[in-house]
Amino acid sequence: MNKLDFVDVLPAQQSSTRKSDLTSFEYSYKAEITNVYGLTDTEKLYQIRIINSDQRHQFTFKPGQFVMLELPGIGEGPFSISSSPTRHGDLELCIRAVGNLTNFLGRVPRGTLVGITGPFGTSFPVEEMENSDLLLIAGGLGIVPLRAPLFSILENRSRYKQIDIIYGARNPSELLFTYQYQMWRQFDINLKIIVDQADATWQGPVGLITEILKERIEAAGNDLSRNTYAIVCGPPVMFHFVCDMLINAQLPMQKIFVSLERRMHCGRGKCCRCNIGATYTCLSGPVFDYWSVLNMKEAI
Amino acid sequence: MQKTKTYLGVEIKRPRTAFFELSSCEGCQLQILNKEASLLNFLDLLDIVNFREAMSNGSNDYEIAFVEGSVTRADEEERLLKIRRQAKTLVALGSCACFGGVNQLKNRFHDLEWVKKEVYGDHSIETQEVRPLSDFIAVDLSIYGCPIKKEEVEEIVTNLVLGKSIDHPRYPVCMECTANGNICLFNLGEPCLGPITRAGCDAWCPNNRMGCWGCRGPADEANLSQLQEIMDSHGIPRQAMLDRLECFGGFTSAIKKMDE
Amino acid sequence: MLFKVFPRNELETLYDVLAGHHLVGPQARGKDQADQEIFAFDYIHSFAELRLDFTSTVHSLKRFLLPPREILSSFNLDNSGWEKHIDLGIYKPHVFFGLHPCDINALNKLDKVLTGPVYPDPFYTGKRKNMFIVGVNCSPQPWCFCKSMGTDTVLSGFDMFLTDMGDKYFVEIQSATAYDILMKLPIAQPTEGDHRRFVELMDERNSKFTCQVDNSDLTKILDLEFQSPVWKEWGKKCMSCGTCASVCPTCYCYGVKEYVDLDLTTATKQRQLYSCNLIDFAMVSGGHNFRPDSSSRLKYRYYHKHRGFQEAYEEALCVGCGRCGQACLSGITVPDVIDSVRRQEVPK
Repeated sequence: MNKLDFVDVLPAQQSSTRKSDLTSFEYSYKAEITNVYGLTDTEKLYQIRIINSDQRHQFTFKPGQFVMLELPGIGEGPFSISSSPTRHGDLELCIRAVGNLTNFLGRVPRGTLVGITGPFGTSFPVEEMENSDLLLIAGGLGIVPLRAPLFSILENRSRYKQIDIIYGARNPSELLFTYQYQMWRQFDINLKIIVDQADATWQGPVGLITEILKERIEAAGNDLSRNTYAIVCGPPVMFHFVCDMLINAQLPMQKIFVSLERRMHCGRGKCCRCNIGATYTCLSGPVFDYWSVLNMKEAI
Repeated sequence: MQKTKTYLGVEIKRPRTAFFELSSCEGCQLQILNKEASLLNFLDLLDIVNFREAMSNGSNDYEIAFVEGSVTRADEEERLLKIRRQAKTLVALGSCACFGGVNQLKNRFHDLEWVKKEVYGDHSIETQEVRPLSDFIAVDLSIYGCPIKKEEVEEIVTNLVLGKSIDHPRYPVCMECTANGNICLFNLGEPCLGPITRAGCDAWCPNNRMGCWGCRGPADEANLSQLQEIMDSHGIPRQAMLDRLECFGGFTSAIKKMDE
Repeated sequence: MLFKVFPRNELETLYDVLAGHHLVGPQARGKDQADQEIFAFDYIHSFAELRLDFTSTVHSLKRFLLPPREILSSFNLDNSGWEKHIDLGIYKPHVFFGLHPCDINALNKLDKVLTGPVYPDPFYTGKRKNMFIVGVNCSPQPWCFCKSMGTDTVLSGFDMFLTDMGDKYFVEIQSATAYDILMKLPIAQPTEGDHRRFVELMDERNSKFTCQVDNSDLTKILDLEFQSPVWKEWGKKCMSCGTCASVCPTCYCYGVKEYVDLDLTTATKQRQLYSCNLIDFAMVSGGHNFRPDSSSRLKYRYYHKHRGFQEAYEEALCVGCGRCGQACLSGITVPDVIDSVRRQEVPK
């Protein structure tokens, strides 16, 4: 009687499924939490370094991509990388404590090992945006996915024309990366910050992000049709208003980029948890141009 | 003294823990003491200072209180308030504590005096309408089931000690029942509350060919009116469905909503 | 493709040749309320248990490839850190004896997502590559709409495929292993008569399909009717219980959760097959739910299967086996839902 041969899929020569892809599915880099900075009451900036130096140098990502961070036994979740791509596997992740994983992460000491997989997803086409004006618009936590492209842009500042950052938060205490504003401005960046509710110390404008955007669009003669790109990150309600204004100012929708957030369980286009309509946010996103967003039912 | 445990560098304390019972069969506490293979590890997570069913000399200095049973007498109400004042975390253990449990079937009879006479004859006792813990105090955490399932308690206690959040399944028993490859009991002619009852029991009863009686209470947004239609289409009388819905008390408010 | 025939009474020989392996096939599981036999895929221990004449099974064979729960990795933890272990869980080849065309087509569809070039899933791929499949032709049931989905016949994804021709079996052979195994049987080249008999049987089978779905322009119609009130009506009927996804041979959605063992020195990362109809499918940390009501979840299910997958792979993620409709206590069936979206009317 012939026995069926047991096929060991990993060394097998498969045309469609490469060995490296199969073995890497559950593989994660070991990384160490080297530093933690409290940014606000709920957000912390984690500096995470892939331990193996070869892996660290070989780790490359594009601005806008995310990694899956795992704490064994606690959970795994997607976080957009907010450090510069030139830093490779020396990552910075800005994380708000909202769930199981993020709360436990806030309790672990420096030096704790975490698992990192990735990078995953699409990125902001910063090279395509060269020689143009840039409008970087962020609401609340939206500044986090925006920080990686911002680093890329700052490192090549001369390749871009006018750069505006319009950043809105609920109140001054929720503003992130305050210590870097001075540095950004030194790079000839027009940084405008607005809050919903001022406190005693706040001297800047109070109101909605759209008010600042309106001024900027008017300054451009209500015409953004030439030589402008926009990146919009923030809560879903913001997308509607901001993107509508940009389109009314004739900014082509394939020049508007947004980063969408969904709960991902795998990051690899399998589990379907992040699907919008039937689009995998983890594969086709998180960065989409606005044309793709309009084509996805239930996107925003 | 034991040396302190850590998990990923975070110090994990053994919380001082007490177990109490109000009106109940004490079966849930017995479940706590079952499953010998993992019992020592389980006890290692908690510093149990008061557990009448398992130890003598209880202490009243505790952080976590597990309370089994429902409130049926005034003195139980007092005891419960006292436990609440002491405990940082109060856990309702089992269907009686969560919903009133089988005890609350008594509430079906509106004339409590008649019930007393019927049950106790001339030896009258003090008793009141059966109510769950949450009618008197804030409950921090519920462990559902009649009885509770030890595997689930182990997971919940581990998470509690680690400081992980406790996420009960929000979906109904059907999900676990179909995962086990069972044939739907409706197809075999038996009523089942699986489609509306909170999962987490691994479909304990349907696995053994017994329709669900809803001891774990309703799943999130349980669709009772549709279940009524399903029962109708299978020729199951409304009373048979009500008997099940009322058995453990988890659906009391859902029934009221359905009747409106 | 090569074709052979062998005498009907030699089927047991074929079974015997394959029975040295883990062998899964259709077997009877008693009768339902209407006195109809119930079938299930399970491990077969004797030839008598194997019921190739089965109508269809309540559950698909999914649990052998995508178990309801599966450990993706485990961890050992100590004071200095942790070690991750990955066990793909592939130990023995399995023989699947008696799969209908729809079920083989379902595997082919799953392959597109799970063994494709983008992050192939080694847990599934490992099991899939270690399968030996004996397909068998079926007799259409009243709920089968595979013909509408183009999955009533199967061209690939199996090793051999049997058609009962009365006194003999007609075999389609797809793999060298299958050919080697058949050499143990007195196989013969099909005669002209066998060819004609086979075609006649196929025609006869084709004439028995009664259930249909009109798929024409469906992707556009689903987009056009995204806000349609019919979804609300179906939502009222839906129990959000996930039974449809559980019995579906092509649903592969899952959730990942991590567990710490009681002794706090070991932990596991597990995946649980999930259903997009379950209330927290699209819920994010912090509690926001992108699909809070049953109608939006049910709609999403149809969107994924009949629009999104169609867009990605030019075929629907549905083989028309009708299991979801049969298992749904509320009687929500694919043909009814699609028909109602077309006609903007929900049957009472």
